[in-house]
Amino acid sequence: MLSANEIRKVVEERNVHQRGTGKKVLDVREEMYHLEEKGELIVHRIRPENRPVELRTLFGWTKRIPTDRLWHHKSCGQCGNIPGYPSSLLWLMNETGRTYLNEPHQTSCTAWNYHGTATSNPVALAAVAARNFHRAYETDHFPLIHCGTSYGDYKEMRKLLVENAAVRTKVREVLRKMGRDLVLPEEIVHYSEWVHAMRPEIVARQKHPVHGVVTTVHEPCHYYKMVPEDAVYDDAVYAGQRPAVPSGILLALGATVADYSTWYDCCGFGFRHILSEREFSRSFANLRKIRPMVEEAHSDVAITSDTGCVTTLDKSQWIGKSHGLSYLLPVLSDVQFAALSLGAHPYKIAQVHWHSASAEGLLSKMGIDWRSAKAEFQEYLRALKNGAAPELLHPAHGEIEKFFAINKGQVLPDPEVVPALSAGSATTEGGPAA
Amino acid sequence: MSIVAHLPRRALTLTEEEAAAPPTMELAGRKRATAEERALATTIFGEFHADSRHREFVLGCLNCGECTTGCPAARFYDFSPREMLQIAQNGDATTLWDAMQEKIWACCQCYTCNMRCRFGNDIAGIISVMRELSVRHGIESTRRALAPFGRSLTLLMTVGTQVSSDMIQPDFFRDWGPFATGSDKVWQVSADIMRKAIPSDVLQTTRSAWEVSVQTSLELFRIYEETGVLDMLRGLDPDLTEMLVDIIEERREEFAEARERFGEELKGMQGPVATFSG
Ligand code: SF4
Ligand code: SF4
Repeated sequence: MLSANEIRKVVEERNVHQRGTGKKVLDVREEMYHLEEKGELIVHRIRPENRPVELRTLFGWTKRIPTDRLWHHKSCGQCGNIPGYPSSLLWLMNETGRTYLNEPHQTSCTAWNYHGTATSNPVALAAVAARNFHRAYETDHFPLIHCGTSYGDYKEMRKLLVENAAVRTKVREVLRKMGRDLVLPEEIVHYSEWVHAMRPEIVARQKHPVHGVVTTVHEPCHYYKMVPEDAVYDDAVYAGQRPAVPSGILLALGATVADYSTWYDCCGFGFRHILSEREFSRSFANLRKIRPMVEEAHSDVAITSDTGCVTTLDKSQWIGKSHGLSYLLPVLSDVQFAALSLGAHPYKIAQVHWHSASAEGLLSKMGIDWRSAKAEFQEYLRALKNGAAPELLHPAHGEIEKFFAINKGQVLPDPEVVPALSAGSATTEGGPAA
Repeated sequence: MSIVAHLPRRALTLTEEEAAAPPTMELAGRKRATAEERALATTIFGEFHADSRHREFVLGCLNCGECTTGCPAARFYDFSPREMLQIAQNGDATTLWDAMQEKIWACCQCYTCNMRCRFGNDIAGIISVMRELSVRHGIESTRRALAPFGRSLTLLMTVGTQVSSDMIQPDFFRDWGPFATGSDKVWQVSADIMRKAIPSDVLQTTRSAWEVSVQTSLELFRIYEETGVLDMLRGLDPDLTEMLVDIIEERREEFAEARERFGEELKGMQGPVATFSG
């Protein structure tokens, strides 16, 4: 235990340290450009073709959000176990005429593994981030990060690469061995920030009003507690006292966003816990999140904007019955909810059947005829079983792309190729030069 | 000068008396640390304080407990981020070793403590440093903690995604109920067909979160080789590591064959696709 004098000394020295290094409040984005001038890295800039929209961060800094010509940085947890999450986002992009690449040439950020098992290290994490950044850069599409953990991790890695010359040198060396270079994007952008920036265009296409729907928001920890200064806040959402996403889109669609006492708590995912200590995850999710959402806020649906949160809050509920916790509150991502409200197919697009807590009651409340949709989906599954070609939101990739990180020109959205699913989208574009 | 240099520190090596003493935080029923373990504890303690992140992450502590108040793990485990930070700042080799046996694995890595700490400590980060050390030294309790992760580590190392739909097996995820696997049983089609019904070809696989091109997975493996991750894993689980190396070797051959097969189409291309050899 330190004495009072020692503590005073530590406090003073901490202040000196922080003043000297600018730690915690340094805007690393500024330093990025200095390093670029010195030839140490390349900044992937947001261009007019990316149709940027300006938002504000916690510190009042401006953050430019590209809304077009995007490179989807998928989430392993979403794609593997709640695939309606990414497909709803792709669908919203088609609906709003935004172009994108959704490639097989991306790895995950690998940070789930790092935060769960520590079988990695910051240099490896930084190199993984930089490899994905370089791939996006060479396609001339701006990275859009689907996962809250990837988003937080990439901001940590950006900071590390900017502040630590030794890590930068090592990562550049590793990248050069694969013919790549050190690229940092102008902004690290979470998909929910794209949703927030796109609110007017999304709402303009709304088909099912949601005025009667009471939502409760779970704010993903890695969105705003990891590198907090860069998260987006908006005076119109909780008077700027809580992150703007995902509440902003819910309010814009007309839903009620109800408060509950444990909004600040995490979901219980825990990275390793959700796989190997689920008794913790399910206890935490049921007792600290779902129960207050239902009992305090009388919520119809929990909405969140990260992989682990949807998974934990949704999949932990079924077993709650064994302890008398029979809430079965639907849990959806913001993009699933928005897509449903715009008329997306609940099964083909929002893929609600991968969720444990049924969303069908909510669908009824939203005025969606899920029974017909379900019958149609059943028919579709039968057709697939009999060899029918799947309906796609974007053209399929070629055989050569199974091996090589190239893009033969994914053209999106293309009404000729995807008539069933991209109705309403108009823009087409050629892919990047291969 | 770094502020850490001014902080009172315990010696990096144990005195004879300390070495002979039982761990100070030994949990009831746990066997006493052997001489070998105590020596390892001393080595780890030295590496922990020499890690540059220690200086950056541990900035001081008033024992206010704000971090613990918001900590999810503290509600269900014998664990507290305040205690972890105190150990990182003022602990000795034995307290660090004891915390690394079990407690470090309770943390959810949610960063709530970081957000609340007025000192700006990176508590989640310093816990990760402790975890990294326990993995790097392959300590027994860590092997046990990570034993269930073989499958996800294999996926991660070979294709760079950590979840696949075929990992969510009903017998292991019984508590998730009958609908968690895309409910192929409910819809009475195979898991493959359930994945085919996802409207993106990249996602229509059961073996990985998405289809990852061979070049991409080989580039990732190169990162692991070059940054010490593979060596770290070898120390923890040599058998798993050899299996991974075999898988990657096969993939390298596959990549070389594909280069011949697609020679015409690759002609004239530039950038990594032209130069990367696997
Ligand atoms: S990061 Fe770990 S120690 Fe910190 S609040 Fe979350 S669970 Fe607790
Ligand atoms: S919040 Fe910070 S200062 Fe307070 S006990 Fe936790 S680590 Fe120490």
